[in-house]
Amino acid sequence: MQSPQRPVASRASGSGESIPIEPGPGITGQDMTSQGIASQGITRRSILRNAAAGASAVVASDMTFLNQLRSAEVADELKKQEKRVILLWLAGGASQLETWDPKPGVKTGGPFRAIPTNVPGVRISELLPELATRMQHTAVIRSLNTKIADHGQGADLMECGRLNDPGLKYPDLGAVVARELGRLESRVPDYVSLYTATEGRRKGTSGFLGARYAPMFLSESMTPPNIVRQDSITEIAHQDRAALQNALSRRFANARRSQAVDSHTSAYQRVNGLMASAELFDIEKEPADVRARYGGTQFGEQCLIARRLVEAGVPFVKVARAWWDSHGQNFETHQELCADLDHSMSVLLDDLAERGLLQNTLVITLGEFGRTPQINASLGRDHFASAWSCSLSGHGVRGGSVWGKTDDLGQTVVEGEVGAADLFATILQALGIDHSHEYMLGARPVPLADFGAKPIREVLA
Amino acid sequence: MNQQDNVEPSPSQTPEAAVEPSGAVSMPTSVKIDKTFPLPAIGFCLAAGPSSSPLVYVGTSDFSVYAVDPTAEKVEARVLSENRHSSYVTGLVRHGDTLVSAGYDCAIIWWNAQTGEVLRRIENAHDKWIRRLAVSPDGTRIASVADDMRTKLWDFSSGECLAVWGDYALKTPHHFPSMLYAVTFSPDGTWLATGDRTGKVLVRESATGRIVATIESPGMYTWDPKARRHSIGGVRSLAFSSDSALLAVGGIGHVDNIDHLDGVSRIEIFRWQSGERQCLIEDNKYKGLVEAMRFAPGNQWLAAAGGNNDGFISVFSTVDGKMLAQEKAPMHVHDFEMHSPSAQAETEFSLIAVGYQQGVVVGIRNS
Repeated sequence: MQSPQRPVASRASGSGESIPIEPGPGITGQDMTSQGIASQGITRRSILRNAAAGASAVVASDMTFLNQLRSAEVADELKKQEKRVILLWLAGGASQLETWDPKPGVKTGGPFRAIPTNVPGVRISELLPELATRMQHTAVIRSLNTKIADHGQGADLMECGRLNDPGLKYPDLGAVVARELGRLESRVPDYVSLYTATEGRRKGTSGFLGARYAPMFLSESMTPPNIVRQDSITEIAHQDRAALQNALSRRFANARRSQAVDSHTSAYQRVNGLMASAELFDIEKEPADVRARYGGTQFGEQCLIARRLVEAGVPFVKVARAWWDSHGQNFETHQELCADLDHSMSVLLDDLAERGLLQNTLVITLGEFGRTPQINASLGRDHFASAWSCSLSGHGVRGGSVWGKTDDLGQTVVEGEVGAADLFATILQALGIDHSHEYMLGARPVPLADFGAKPIREVLA
Repeated sequence: MNQQDNVEPSPSQTPEAAVEPSGAVSMPTSVKIDKTFPLPAIGFCLAAGPSSSPLVYVGTSDFSVYAVDPTAEKVEARVLSENRHSSYVTGLVRHGDTLVSAGYDCAIIWWNAQTGEVLRRIENAHDKWIRRLAVSPDGTRIASVADDMRTKLWDFSSGECLAVWGDYALKTPHHFPSMLYAVTFSPDGTWLATGDRTGKVLVRESATGRIVATIESPGMYTWDPKARRHSIGGVRSLAFSSDSALLAVGGIGHVDNIDHLDGVSRIEIFRWQSGERQCLIEDNKYKGLVEAMRFAPGNQWLAAAGGNNDGFISVFSTVDGKMLAQEKAPMHVHDFEMHSPSAQAETEFSLIAVGYQQGVVVGIRNS
């Protein structure tokens, strides 16, 4: 039996007939139809036939087979655009009322004011004064209703855009982006996840995409473990070994050209690349004024690492900032954490823009949920997933836009309700990835964003 | 404690204690909630009316100041004026017929306590949220503390800013914004004490601003470097004894899970002039922040109140920190006033406390 964990095909849909799929930016309509797929000699029926043919062929083909199903030109073009994502994961659940959806003057509003931003008519919390001057980069979504107000399940939902099905683990956003935007020949990781605090720590998951797209996970240190050359091996010896391996592989490959050999060679190159990328995590390599600009907090330093990584070509970097779970002293907690977010993210946006990277990089703030409008006796706010906010900045979004609306007290969404799948679809579309693409797990089509997901076109550039 | 100068107690203040005819000091044995009353919002600060009046004034989370008569059969909160603050009202003092309030809107407002007329409004009295006000005992000066980490002294009558002191670090040792929570005058007005988020207390000469003592109380501050990477705590309340010799510092002890106020309520009492900590009080039964404290006139005991999701009102011996009596409050208490309703032997005190959407009248008795 074929393992349900293995994808065997992509971009087929429905019945196996030619079904037009709405083109995404940068992708031609022909590329996006099953007719287009058929023109490459592959039909939905053939996919299903392949799937049914058995596990061995499927496992052998793995992601390479996926690439055959997709237009090589389309996939390559997408990857060549070198789009990047930095996810600032606000673990524990930041308050929408103290960030993107302030409600000053009402009983649920808390003590903080709403301040004007550099986008006329858009106001955010006074706890984000630096970001308020950079709203031309940012789209705010104020109408998330994701229903799950439990840390674990909420994180599952918001990381993957859907909850796992029995027997099927979905990849998280990082793995999907790594899969869609990562380049096989890349010498840097496709997906790096930094989560230093221990509370709510989650590694991230590549689900059915497999270990190839699992994150390089940094928790105990900001430098990846086990990628540094051993002291017992000199740099010269290390380079000599790599050259010898390379020469032998090339000679072997010239005589026996196959996917397996290519994969083997690629794996070695990748390991050498990862070893060489260790210095990307070393912010001491940055000038002192750049380090000072990011400030002295760990989150600031990790944002600087994120910038270094995307600059070097890493498609997806997640920086988790824990822990926003302010059941007590919500306002004090947000005074601390919003100051950290406001400054670090503002410097990050500036730095990306100055280097010409923001036009290709999407910066997201998101957590597992928001916080209750009601203020409890400890001046805290509790878990709340019915009406909360997130932000998208940079590549692919219409800066300065605001989508959705909550009621006067912030208790319900009254306009533009958005679910996790819709948000996932929006993010993918912003990156030029068609959210309706499907991976095939056996005979089961699995779209990149969940069935029925609708991207918010109004926040997309 | 780091003592900058040798400071003598104010000559006008001499230690006193309520002494029973037998010579034994009278100590409270019970704390009892006699009455609860609703508030329209969270009560953050309280100022008692003149002794001839039963009224108290309450600053709240709906940006207003209310006049409340807790002795009324049906207690109602009357808003002083529709001309309100634009954020939480967190500091409130009274002298004569004038009330002065301050809040997170950075404004200080002078009010006619009778009519609610706004007499003066200083919009940007501080650059950040004002946490507390204190009035000098002679009613001539007001001190304000705010998250701009400045202490300001104001002329009560004219509103003139008399002094600005910025002796606190703007950031915590972990690079986050610090907060300056607490301020109090000594009973004779000579000294002014302030306390911040990191547990640093400064005592200064109120006339000159000269710092005469620095008390470090780091146990009031919990920085979680591993699990949650932020902090909680701070010095939330300060009180001088009537002879100014003792300074009580209130807050919360170590918190394992800083998502909640789940730490022991903590008081440290210092003989601040010599640097000696007289006692440390950590109450594990009623947890949370100690938001307000008052010494009894004889200085033998101290009333303290605060809470987490619940609240407490407790009475401790100032000699050894022993708990004398306590009562669970129906709400987190943010502030209280205490007085002796009768002249007899100071054996019975009435305490009016406000907090999360209600207030209480409490009797502290020795029988």
